Amino acid sequence: MADLWGLAAIATKFFLYLGVLSSGGLILCRLVLADQMSALDRAARIWAIGFAILAVAMAALGFAVRGAVLMDDISGMVDPSILALLWQTPPGEALLFRLLGLGTLVLGAAIGGRWLWVAAIGGAVAIWSFCEIGHVASQDRLWFQSVLFAHLIAAAFWIGIFLPLSRLSRSADTLGDAAALGHRFGQIAAVAVPLLVVAGAIMSWRLVGSVSALLGTGYGLWLLAKLAAVALLLALAALNKVRLVPALQRGDPGVGTQLSKSISLEWLCVGVILFATAIFTSVLTVPT
Amino acid sequence: MKRKFGVALLLAVIGTSVFAHSDKESVTPADGAVLDNVPETLEMRFNEGMRLTKVEMTHADTHVETLDLGAQSGFVKEFSLPLVQMGSGLYQIEWRGLGVDGHPMTGSFSFEVK
Repeated sequence: MADLWGLAAIATKFFLYLGVLSSGGLILCRLVLADQMSALDRAARIWAIGFAILAVAMAALGFAVRGAVLMDDISGMVDPSILALLWQTPPGEALLFRLLGLGTLVLGAAIGGRWLWVAAIGGAVAIWSFCEIGHVASQDRLWFQSVLFAHLIAAAFWIGIFLPLSRLSRSADTLGDAAALGHRFGQIAAVAVPLLVVAGAIMSWRLVGSVSALLGTGYGLWLLAKLAAVALLLALAALNKVRLVPALQRGDPGVGTQLSKSISLEWLCVGVILFATAIFTSVLTVPT
Repeated sequence: MKRKFGVALLLAVIGTSVFAHSDKESVTPADGAVLDNVPETLEMRFNEGMRLTKVEMTHADTHVETLDLGAQSGFVKEFSLPLVQMGSGLYQIEWRGLGVDGHPMTGSFSFEVK
């Protein structure tokens, strides 16, 4: 059975992914879909700040959990010598990127306006932190780290649309705005989603390398679990793009509720995807 | 029943701990060695730089002692730790450390004194 600290590492990583990708994604959507989201400016910034605070807390907690792992005792979480030691290694570097990036994001989001670009840079720095540490970074190839970065930016953009689109589709007064936002998002996603999938496929191929490793290792099995959730997510996205958003544009009754439910299911898929990812980046080793 | 199976499967598949297992270290006394006398020191050598954070010695499955790691600085490849003398019996050593790449490492070995 996974030990207690392994489970704590998975939990903190899950919420860290959720916080960084949601906060960065909300800012990205606010900038890229500026016209369609102008009515949601304040809400989007508040959501982004909330997710960024969650991410800061999880980044710090996850770092402290590493201290506990090293001492096999909860006291390691606050042991200055152990934490100082960790600070000199890649996890310390990643924590620095996360704190600086998320701090910048919060500042930019709190001020708003043109400062949203500053917030976006902060989000990008926080997202880059995942490229500085772990299985991808250990290959020491800038192009490979860039593939992960592109994968995460596209994922953040996708996750960032959920709350705004769900909010707009729940109220009869804003269904027109929801249709416009969903339509424009769909146009950009037609490029971003294939990019996300191709980048994911490249990383899977490089890290896992063979069908036998995919089927015969824990890493491979959790990757398959992630892929199953991705397939469901893609199906939901296709349903939204091909049926629900056009129906919303026509003003068909009851479609707003259906779209909102569909987004809830997309959240569920993202939850499974992030959980599976947290497992194979925290406690599993890449097949050799 | 299905739920229990699901939880068991989840834990079984997670199954691996947060540690990387170093299989490249060499230790003196060697794993499984049988000795006449208790050695004064425990020697551990690694391929990559390491910082030991905790080394526990269990004697005869009963007495657990945390070994003194002394003053360490930086990441080094060789360690020499004073061993607590407890007479004959099985000595099991379990260590934890931080690899220079930031990965938590763990390992264990044992030797016997006649």
